[in-house]
Amino acid sequence: MNAPFYKFGLFGDEASLIVAFAIGIGFGFFLERAGFGSAKKLTAQFYLTDLAVFKVMFTAIVTALLGLFYLSWLGVVDLSLVYVSPTFLIPQVVGGLILGFGFVIGGYCPGTSLVGISTGRLDAVVYALGIFAGVFAFGEAFPWIAGFFRSTPMGPVTLPELFHLRYGLVVFAVVVMAILGFVGAAKVERIFAARAKEG
Amino acid sequence: MNAFAVSRWSREQKLGAAALLLGALAVFGNPYRTTGVVQIDARELAAIVQTEVDHVAPGELADWIVQGRTDYRLIDLRDEAAYAAYHLPTAERAPIAGLPDYPLARNEKIVLYSDGGIHAAQGWFLLRAVGFKGVYILRGGLEAWKDEVLFPTAASDRAKAVSAFFGGAPRAAGGAEATAAPEMPAMVMPAPQAAPAVAAPNQKKKKEGC
Repeated sequence: MNAPFYKFGLFGDEASLIVAFAIGIGFGFFLERAGFGSAKKLTAQFYLTDLAVFKVMFTAIVTALLGLFYLSWLGVVDLSLVYVSPTFLIPQVVGGLILGFGFVIGGYCPGTSLVGISTGRLDAVVYALGIFAGVFAFGEAFPWIAGFFRSTPMGPVTLPELFHLRYGLVVFAVVVMAILGFVGAAKVERIFAARAKEG
Repeated sequence: MNAFAVSRWSREQKLGAAALLLGALAVFGNPYRTTGVVQIDARELAAIVQTEVDHVAPGELADWIVQGRTDYRLIDLRDEAAYAAYHLPTAERAPIAGLPDYPLARNEKIVLYSDGGIHAAQGWFLLRAVGFKGVYILRGGLEAWKDEVLFPTAASDRAKAVSAFFGGAPRAAGGAEATAAPEMPAMVMPAPQAAPAVAAPNQKKKKEGC
């Protein structure tokens, strides 16, 4: 049996929605258990007092990265069939900044606001309403920003392709980066948590 | 007592060390099979041919082009002269002989067309044989595109709008044999913004990613 299951026709469009739902529930559950249903916990990362978001996300990235790499090395997953969303460099940088500002101001990111709603947090409900308002405004304004939206297209490019590196070397680099990040995060947390107590 | 004894590490440190070890080993691995040898499941292919799930109807493709969708690649398999004379908007030309070396990614949705459909069908097998999964054929090829999209008979208002969008014109019903082959429209790619108000009703939108 080979993966990705959907691309190999193990299930169709309708069943894929059920699978996506199950994965989404699991994703949300673990976000909630990591404390990401709380805006206080989430924004603490921007004040450098609690970098749990960074640590959880990078742990997930490293786990998925190593898992996918080894599964495809063993021939279980065909990586060339995995969807890679195309890069539009400048629009995505701008979009990322807008999302980041929204994250700091609103205390959630889109996914975690839904996690917050699941435990009945009102601020998360307000945030989610804001998402829908934003999506609506974006949709209505799309004809005016379509040109920018499609600018600087680079196609579905990955880091190994872009820098002509061995795939495994990029895997190693990301793992090293994550571990240095974890060590650094622990230090930063100690410094800023102490400072927050004094202040 | 050695400070570096593994037994004294915290759980996080052990996990980190395991990740680092796996990461270092990864440098020597290659996740992509590049031998060029692919196993073909002939029964699976036969089932696909039988159920025609690998076909895209001309009307469906027309909707995609009108909507300016970019989640697929449209490949024209005819020769250069035929391509220069007329090709579908957004189509790229890849002669069938060069198809195995044409830069296509295996995770892309690829729609092939030729004049009738034989070359497209052969191209479909060619690409399936080298491991492409998302290969589709324009049903009936360019001939069907002319009959169903550019110069449809008994056209609905929507079909008329689509036909006009691509520079064609509906034919009178039953007049197909009376009129000479209509002139192919000039090759201008209509801007997606100028699209007629066609709200493709049962269009299945497929989008992956988050």
